[in-house]
Amino acid sequence: MPLERDDPKLTAYALGELDPSERAGVRDAIAGDRGLREQVEEIQAAARMLTQALAAEPRTEPGIELSEMLPLKASSARKPVAGLRKRLVIGGAVAAAACVFLAFALIPAPDLANHQARSREGVAALRGGEHVDGWEGYMKQQAERSAAEAEFGIDSNAMHSPAETGRANLGSLRESFRNTHPETRSYEAFEFAPVEQRIKQRRPIDGTVFEAENSGEAYASIRDNEFLSVKKAPLSTFSIDVDTAAYANIRRFLNEGTRPPKDAVRIEEMINYFPYEDPQPRGDDPFSINVEIAQCPWKLDHRLVRIGLKGKDIAWENVPPSNLVFLIDVSGSMDQPNKLPLVRSALRMLVEKLRDKDRVAIVVYAGSEGLALAPTPCSNKRAIIAAIESLTPGGSTNGSGGIQLAYDMARSAYIDGGNNRVILATDGDFNVGITDPQELTRLIEAKAKSGVFLSVLGFGMGNLKDATLEQLADKGNGNYSYIDTLSEARKVLVEQMAGTLATIAKDVKIQAEFNPARVKAYRLIGYENRLLRARDFNDDSKDAGEIGAGHTVTALYEVIPAGSSEEVGGVDPLKYQSNAKPQAAEAEEQAGVASRETLTVKLRFKPPAEATSKLIERGVVDAGKTYSEAAPNLQFAAAVAAFGMILRDSPHKGSASLEGVIELARAASQHDPGGHRKEFVELVEKARALGSH
Amino acid sequence: MDDDSAWIQAAVLKFEGPLLRYARRFATDDARARDIVQDTFLQLCRQKRVRVEPRLAEWLFTVCRRRSIDVHKKEARMNALANGELVESAAPPASARIDRDENIASLLAALAGLPENQQEVLRLKFQDDFSYAEIARITGKSVNHVGVLIHNGIKTLRSALTGSESTNRIPL
Repeated sequence: MPLERDDPKLTAYALGELDPSERAGVRDAIAGDRGLREQVEEIQAAARMLTQALAAEPRTEPGIELSEMLPLKASSARKPVAGLRKRLVIGGAVAAAACVFLAFALIPAPDLANHQARSREGVAALRGGEHVDGWEGYMKQQAERSAAEAEFGIDSNAMHSPAETGRANLGSLRESFRNTHPETRSYEAFEFAPVEQRIKQRRPIDGTVFEAENSGEAYASIRDNEFLSVKKAPLSTFSIDVDTAAYANIRRFLNEGTRPPKDAVRIEEMINYFPYEDPQPRGDDPFSINVEIAQCPWKLDHRLVRIGLKGKDIAWENVPPSNLVFLIDVSGSMDQPNKLPLVRSALRMLVEKLRDKDRVAIVVYAGSEGLALAPTPCSNKRAIIAAIESLTPGGSTNGSGGIQLAYDMARSAYIDGGNNRVILATDGDFNVGITDPQELTRLIEAKAKSGVFLSVLGFGMGNLKDATLEQLADKGNGNYSYIDTLSEARKVLVEQMAGTLATIAKDVKIQAEFNPARVKAYRLIGYENRLLRARDFNDDSKDAGEIGAGHTVTALYEVIPAGSSEEVGGVDPLKYQSNAKPQAAEAEEQAGVASRETLTVKLRFKPPAEATSKLIERGVVDAGKTYSEAAPNLQFAAAVAAFGMILRDSPHKGSASLEGVIELARAASQHDPGGHRKEFVELVEKARALGSH
Repeated sequence: MDDDSAWIQAAVLKFEGPLLRYARRFATDDARARDIVQDTFLQLCRQKRVRVEPRLAEWLFTVCRRRSIDVHKKEARMNALANGELVESAAPPASARIDRDENIASLLAALAGLPENQQEVLRLKFQDDFSYAEIARITGKSVNHVGVLIHNGIKTLRSALTGSESTNRIPL
């Protein structure tokens, strides 16, 4: 096998990192190649220099306390291990208990030495690390662990240790320990004040100053889609998206009295937050396609095209059984009313709705680690709710567990033909056990392919890694929602649960072809980070969004009609291609004119368990409606889009104003299940109150 | 018992410096780095010597790393490390000396310009002398990933080193 010059193997060889057989292989490969040999020598030279340079690097001076303290601790160190050898699961409880006992060792106490010996087993098991098959295996080990904990005397330390879950309440143990051992407070020196205590500046929405104080949040930057000339770019292709997090997140900012950062405003997610009145699909189709064209309210000589997909409603009883694993962030930062307590309430609501044929498991990470609840059928809701209630934030992170454990649990309780899903609930901290982001992505993708999807619920504020959370949900074939209030929790986890859990079509892509005889230029509103190349439309290996039961997806195009004198693109007239039309082009144009259609909407989707896509096509004729003639669906979507464009200060917002948005939205709010449209109007009013516009 | 105590002392003497150096890159200041290293040695006290001794260095660094990440996961630096983004290096230790050797200075400067994840791995290799496998275990990355990071890091550093001399060399 030829060895490339830029092969990491060459570097590994140069540094002596290959095992004998590989080494021999590379040696042979470079034997005949002087260039490669020189490479090796250069790499080795660079390595020598680097070693030299790093050795000379200045160091931090060691603190005196360290050397003085340690002899004391060492003297209370362990005696050889007796008896007890239990193989313990990776579990935060045991490991953390071990640490606690170790801390007790600061005060030499003869009867603790025994505990120390055993607790070492826990730490060793932690480092060893094992995955377990089947929940019977886990149940067995949980039982063993409970027995072990009883021996450790965890109960005697006033810890709550529910027998069913076998997991200790580490938060309160830690707290009581800290109180009795003030010298350990330095460990907590690093924890800084929650974000809310930092001063957040309130800035008016006046177009000059944006962005809430950046306190650790991370948004991917978005550039608004521009108008594209139909002659040059007749095809517009994108992946659908039913995430709704952006709207909830924006609402959070506005309720706090701050303008949301521009990049947090994903217009498609705002529009899709609301249910629309599209008709149910007919026959076997998983969704209906509804297209409407009317006047554009912020640019009266433009047209607005609304494409609405409506997923088939499935009665909740008929939704296939669900196997859910909640993967919950219990780091110290979750210890705020709008985080872990809200997670608990939200999950309780969800569990109430589940049926006997569903099952739930709970895995925690980042505070303590491990299994809080083995996969449990929902005929036993009491046990599930008990486990939810016992979730507590805090504790120290050690080892891995987290996401791999969650997937193992899902796999162990897998339901063929059902919904198998890990639901991650976090405030942005995802030390889920895999630190390498590429590895994490690969894992999530692989699991999604194997049938275990991933959805993400974001909570709280200030630490939200919005861009990453969205991406994870994408890779996991799931949704990303942001939950800031109980009513949002109800919406996401109760109202729309069937949709969240029952995917009816995956990898859904839209391609619109515009007719140059009718359209001069078009602009897709939103979906900036969902765009696909034209050829990706027919490429089944390209991942795209999913539609759940009862979901609606809306996409809006703003269209400049043919014959408009408006300039598009600001590009100079071509030098080598003339405007004069040769024969072929004339014929084409005739064909274009012959069709009265403004555009054709094409849709590709895959049934959830299949790998080959199906195609649906729909040609659309513009009936010339004015804005007031348009259906409320289009009117309301337009109002939301306008609001988004104002928040982003988009160059395309035309004459849109907050007052205008309020008026338009109000007029389109008769059909308002859940009261979300009314809430939208209130939100826009808040925005208006925050600054003049 | 004395034996063990002496062993711990020896470990402290040998590894305190390197661990401080390692932890300092994660921490925002010296005091925190010291706390982290202190935690690490405390953990060491609780281990069975026989278990840890064969891989003492690796164990210490792994625990140190975990503790560092633990402690700083709420801070923005965690983001940079996790994402391998280009980020400004941690504030250099107070006593920065300017090295006389031009090459070494520019090498260190080039190193500081590398993405954080490459820097960490290169230091573990060339400063703390760990093998690929050990580095993989310490950082929780796969061995291949470590190999790629080191390869790319060295590649960049080499071009920084040779600069204009590279005309008759093999292009990278």
